[in-house]
Amino acid sequence: MSEIVISGLSYTYPKAAKPSLQNVSLKIDSGAFAALAGLNGSGKTSLCLAIAGAVPHYYGGAMAGQVYTGEVKTTESGICEIANIVGLVLEDYESQLVTLTVEEEVAFGLENRGVEQSEINRRVKEALQMVGLSGKEKQQTAALSGGQKQRLAIASVLATKPQILVLDEPTSALDPEGASELYELLHRLNQDHKLTILVVEHDLSLALPFASQFILLADGSVEKAGSPAEVLQYMGSKQHYACSLPPLWQLKLGLEPEFSSFGDWKTDDEAANELIHCLEKLEAGKSA
Amino acid sequence: MFKVAPLTKIVFTMVVSLWAVALFSPLALSVVVGVQLLLMVLGRVEAKTYKATAYLALFAVFLFLLQYVFVPDTRLALVTGLKMMAMAMVFILVLATTRVQDLTAALVGQCRIPYEYAFMFTTALRFVPDFLSESRTIQEAQACRGYSTKGNIVKRMINFLAIVKPLVLRAISRSETMALSMELRGFGSQKRNIGSQVALGWHDYTALSGMVTVTLGIFLY
Repeated sequence: MSEIVISGLSYTYPKAAKPSLQNVSLKIDSGAFAALAGLNGSGKTSLCLAIAGAVPHYYGGAMAGQVYTGEVKTTESGICEIANIVGLVLEDYESQLVTLTVEEEVAFGLENRGVEQSEINRRVKEALQMVGLSGKEKQQTAALSGGQKQRLAIASVLATKPQILVLDEPTSALDPEGASELYELLHRLNQDHKLTILVVEHDLSLALPFASQFILLADGSVEKAGSPAEVLQYMGSKQHYACSLPPLWQLKLGLEPEFSSFGDWKTDDEAANELIHCLEKLEAGKSA
Repeated sequence: MFKVAPLTKIVFTMVVSLWAVALFSPLALSVVVGVQLLLMVLGRVEAKTYKATAYLALFAVFLFLLQYVFVPDTRLALVTGLKMMAMAMVFILVLATTRVQDLTAALVGQCRIPYEYAFMFTTALRFVPDFLSESRTIQEAQACRGYSTKGNIVKRMINFLAIVKPLVLRAISRSETMALSMELRGFGSQKRNIGSQVALGWHDYTALSGMVTVTLGIFLY
């Protein structure tokens, strides 16, 4: 069981004037691929930290409500214990790297857990291969590019084999190809290893082909949660989210008033096929 | 140097420092510096290590001149410069020829230093390049806002606060994120396994015996 269940979560950072999270309740099923969206300051990072147990254990502050990761209640377990279930990749990936070389970085979490050396070597190799950093084991972390550092931060979490993977803006330093490759990797982990994934993402078009659930936060509360189509339809109906919609859905919602209702597009291919079919029908109608 | 265990290198660092303090002969100190240079060559260190040593030599020359200005005694000035050179060079040599995780493993496993303190040492080394890179970035950013390195030394020092303040604040913020990251990855757990193999071999015992002999020789004669 690696579901995430949050009920009535409210949280205020120490000395903060207003709460960062207010009465958040949601459920992410075991094996789900969820994308968390929202404007800046909506509480996305705080929610990720609450799932990993850093809120309130590390930051202190006032918390109400409950967070369950698998069968572990975060308020009743230490960060180390929660870390065995939840792997968190922070937004500030550069500060997340604590050792000198690439292989040491990936091995760090495993050494802390007392994993055998032979197993550490195997997992380091496997994790680096997953993120495309094979052959860079001996390289200094300071010499890596931003994108490589971000992938290394992900590898160091993957090596510990968590059941739940939480990534806070994991593509902020990646080029478009790198971002797309990362999502394909996350999709593989989700499908092949049944990993529950929660990813904070501003560019929803990256998560759209793979996500099974979208969550939209606003002012520390869940504004809308559900299937990607439900959430995108909702966002489409709100003017202030117009720019956050994936281009595919901007096109879909723009065309629908003029034409028929389209399916819930997830990829360019789906959209192209349906549009071609629609145009063919129109042509056939004109000919008739 | 690569075949020697990290503990032997730590002992070597301390012993060379001791020799540098005890010796007052420019010839003997030159030999200590020369041996270290030879070990660098044998250890096939990277070019940046030689560069660091060259800067150190430049500083030694500066120290020589400074000493000579205040006490015009060539021998004393030479000894001062060489002492500093011998002492500082050994740290460069050891860091350039040893993996830092091996040093940490030796400090924890053999010197019985608590892991947290040994890790602090490793982390400090880890952040030197990041700190330098960040300092350059801040200098560029402040230069775009009119930061100037011109003027007399007082003015330059006051201006330099524009670099230091964001650098320190960023370092504090970074250390907080790092501490969180370490907690999230199980730092502080009692099950820790330090992977590096740092046991002493016959060549370590030979080297240690050699160091003891030389030290005794210096102090007895």
